[in-house]
Amino acid sequence: MVDFIRLIRNENMKIYRRLRTWIMFAIMLIIPLGISLGAMALEADPDMWFFSYLEAEVVLSLITIFAVIIAADSVAGEFSTGTIKLLLIRPWSRSKILLSKYVSLLLFMLFFTVSLLLFTLLVNGVLFGSNGEYTYPNQGSRSYIVYLLSYYGLNLIQIIVTVTMAFMISTVFRSSALAIGLSIFLLLGGNMMAALLSLLDKPWVDYVLFMNYGLSTYVSGGTPIPDRPFGFSLAVLAGYYVIFIALSWCVFRRRDVAA
Amino acid sequence: MLDLQTGGTEPVVRLLNVTKRIGNRTIIDNLTFDVPPGEVFGFLGPNGSGKTTTIRMMVGLMRMTSGEILIRGRSIRTEYEAAVRQVGAIVENPEMYKYLTGYQNLLHYARMIPGIPRKRIDEVVELVGLTARIHDKVKTYSLGMRQRLGVAQAILHRPALLILDEPTNGLDPAGIRELRDYLRHLAKHEGTTVFVSSHLLSEMELMCDRVAIIQAGKLIDVRLIHGGAENGGKAEVLFEVDRPDAAAEALGGAVLRAESGGIVVSAGREEAADINARLVAAGVRVYGIRTVTKSLEDQFLEVTGGGRIG
Repeated sequence: MVDFIRLIRNENMKIYRRLRTWIMFAIMLIIPLGISLGAMALEADPDMWFFSYLEAEVVLSLITIFAVIIAADSVAGEFSTGTIKLLLIRPWSRSKILLSKYVSLLLFMLFFTVSLLLFTLLVNGVLFGSNGEYTYPNQGSRSYIVYLLSYYGLNLIQIIVTVTMAFMISTVFRSSALAIGLSIFLLLGGNMMAALLSLLDKPWVDYVLFMNYGLSTYVSGGTPIPDRPFGFSLAVLAGYYVIFIALSWCVFRRRDVAA
Repeated sequence: MLDLQTGGTEPVVRLLNVTKRIGNRTIIDNLTFDVPPGEVFGFLGPNGSGKTTTIRMMVGLMRMTSGEILIRGRSIRTEYEAAVRQVGAIVENPEMYKYLTGYQNLLHYARMIPGIPRKRIDEVVELVGLTARIHDKVKTYSLGMRQRLGVAQAILHRPALLILDEPTNGLDPAGIRELRDYLRHLAKHEGTTVFVSSHLLSEMELMCDRVAIIQAGKLIDVRLIHGGAENGGKAEVLFEVDRPDAAAEALGGAVLRAESGGIVVSAGREEAADINARLVAAGVRVYGIRTVTKSLEDQFLEVTGGGRIG
């Protein structure tokens, strides 16, 4: 176990010792800061909870894109630079090496998300404070922080599925460009496809991955697919997740490395 | 002369009927040979003959279609972790993480094997002569420096077997010389078995104790270098004469072959003088006597039939 933590530290080193990671981090902080400063100039009576929620929506999609970039590069990058050869000829099974990469990826995502949450709360708290009048849609008896945390949590599930898909594409096709391109295309095009597909009156439509995105609507009382329960969407995403993971591990374990 | 421990000691590497097929092409065809311990073992073949594929199978990067590779008795297929722990390798170019420093790269590999203290990293850095630049990013390194860093990561854990694929690629003559001396040192003083592949014949001749030659995925020959003494000090000697036919007749069956302008016989130093006397006595005019040394290159071209791409 201790030895496995050393593998994760290696993967972390490969993420955080790169300038690009810190540029992403800076972008992620500058955008909500900009929104808040802009609001301070324009809005008469801004509220910290409203802006924390608004900015979360914007920056969570940025985190998705950044995490997809890191995921896409994670395995494919080692192949394209040839470092995969020196990485694999160590006394570690390929499964564990892949797992260390995946874990470091999830940690990266968690680190970015938690930093964002704390940062927006801090900035908006200091700049605006709460005016006590604003309530979230369908907030009921829930406190602001519980509501906000649920929103983050639901989004995080969705981000994990997307990032795992990028990780799978990266592992199977060994191309960072393809993994980034395809994941982002599916992410952006997914919404459009979902809108089009929902016009079709076919039972399989509900099982398409992107039809079940938008888990976070649950926080305000909705579900991703109007006439399906929340658990259905969760189960469909879980099904895709298992497939992505199984594909990644099967292919990575068996592949001949000829890079 | 080297002490070649051929008898009694277990081979460090055993390849048993190793075959690799991709589609219906046979890349490696039934390769079987042993690498004895403590030697610098050369793996020689023209481009595309399957050297790198064989090395990839030896370190588990590629699967064998059939056959078995044992490293100190451990199967690379069924006991991968135990087998590969004894191996340090550079496969093709030493590709490192360019955005990390040399030291961080070494730390990365050191973390993957338990029981490598930081002191060992410093020691290895010193050994390969990178101390001054080790905290610089690898992207600023020259090819020679990367090669040194590659050697450093390969010997970090003091492997019993060091595998280097085309290690002299991109090195200048001084670098090649240094690497050669270092490999010889490892084999002689630390008992490390070194397995080097190359298509540079002259290089192998200087570096190795023994050479396996492959072509088109088949093992052609395994032979000792510095093996002249094996023939009891005899060498091929060319006598330049005016009438090769008459000379051959005078010497009877001792002649290996007649060439234009001379004959070739197998003879030691004293015998050569005797043969000369006999030729002169037979009335053959001798213009010159010289030994025909066959370099590895000649042998190589001879056994591979001119080195066509297989």
